[in-house]
Amino acid sequence: MAGETMSPNAGAPPRPQPGLIELFLLFSQLGLSSFGGGVSAWMHRTFVEQRGWLPHTEFAAAMALSRIMPGANVVNLAVIIGQRLRGAAGACAAAAGLLVLPGLAIVAVAVAYRQFAATPMLSAALEGAAAAAAGLIIATGIRMGRHLVGASGGTSEHALRRFAAAAIIATVFLLVGVLRLHMVVTVLCLAPLSIALVFLSRPSTDPGDVGG
Amino acid sequence: MSEDKLLALALVFVPLSLVSIGGGPSVFAEMQQQAVFVHGWLTQREFADLFAISRAAPGPGVLLVTLIGWQAAGWVGALVASLAFFVPSSLLVYAVARVWNRWRGTAWHTAIEEGLAPIAVGLVFAGGFAILRSENAGYAGWGIAAGVAACQLWRPNLHPLILLGVGAAVYALAQIAT
Repeated sequence: MAGETMSPNAGAPPRPQPGLIELFLLFSQLGLSSFGGGVSAWMHRTFVEQRGWLPHTEFAAAMALSRIMPGANVVNLAVIIGQRLRGAAGACAAAAGLLVLPGLAIVAVAVAYRQFAATPMLSAALEGAAAAAAGLIIATGIRMGRHLVGASGGTSEHALRRFAAAAIIATVFLLVGVLRLHMVVTVLCLAPLSIALVFLSRPSTDPGDVGG
Repeated sequence: MSEDKLLALALVFVPLSLVSIGGGPSVFAEMQQQAVFVHGWLTQREFADLFAISRAAPGPGVLLVTLIGWQAAGWVGALVASLAFFVPSSLLVYAVARVWNRWRGTAWHTAIEEGLAPIAVGLVFAGGFAILRSENAGYAGWGIAAGVAACQLWRPNLHPLILLGVGAAVYALAQIAT
């Protein structure tokens, strides 16, 4: 529980400029390490927690966007992060990093699979890795959520905003995770509500005539 | 002919790229339909094997696309299928990201980001939950997930690969013991 947040939201986030090769290698590395799923959890750890290249909120919004657009979620997220950090070249470096070496690796695995087939021991280990990856994902969700819900202090508007964020998190989990409603439909229905709640709970600003 | 096959791969995967709203798994069933039944690039059994491999290997599960291309037409097939599936949707997302970032700093942009953030967090929890449920992991799986989550929160700098390795080993041992 020791202090882990570095700064309470600097107004304008700095524009870091990682090298293109650095981006490619980082995405390759997390693509090659993420056994059992949870690539986006690795991205959060690498780019938000360890390097601080993206603020929490921006990463989370990019993640929501990446999931409702066509295309593989993690590839979309890589494109958005790469674009943000280094423009078009960054988007290419990020997506290529995530796909090229892991793509070669997966074909190698497929070749090996034909030789050895799957032993029960191996498939049990893979199930265990998937369960562990689910744990990584849940830990990432807790970290991201703590940033939105758990910030200390603030005015009553802040408290209202935190409460709204917690309610939205719980609702999305319930609808998509437990009741298995269609993810995109759920997001498209809840996003306007969530954004309206942000407007209504804006501190030190007149909410105005939102909602008419 | 091989060139026909490459063209067919592109013609299958480009449209799938653009309709895969919600992610790769949303079009896996249609991929199977096209690859196995329409074009006969691989058998149902082979498709199931490739799906299992895409889950087991590191990296995005959507590399299943690369494996289908490889099975259908070797390395060139893998390249064509990958480009056909990843490039169109990525161009679209790139365009959206560009426009999106151009408005950074305006009040409504900030509000939209702050509104989307809790939705993403809910989806993250739903994603972790979905893995546990689809794996049919039992108490051992839930226990490992809880343990890994606790370790990661307690020691953020611990490398996740260590946790994945320990989780895999513990689960495998638990399976043998029972």
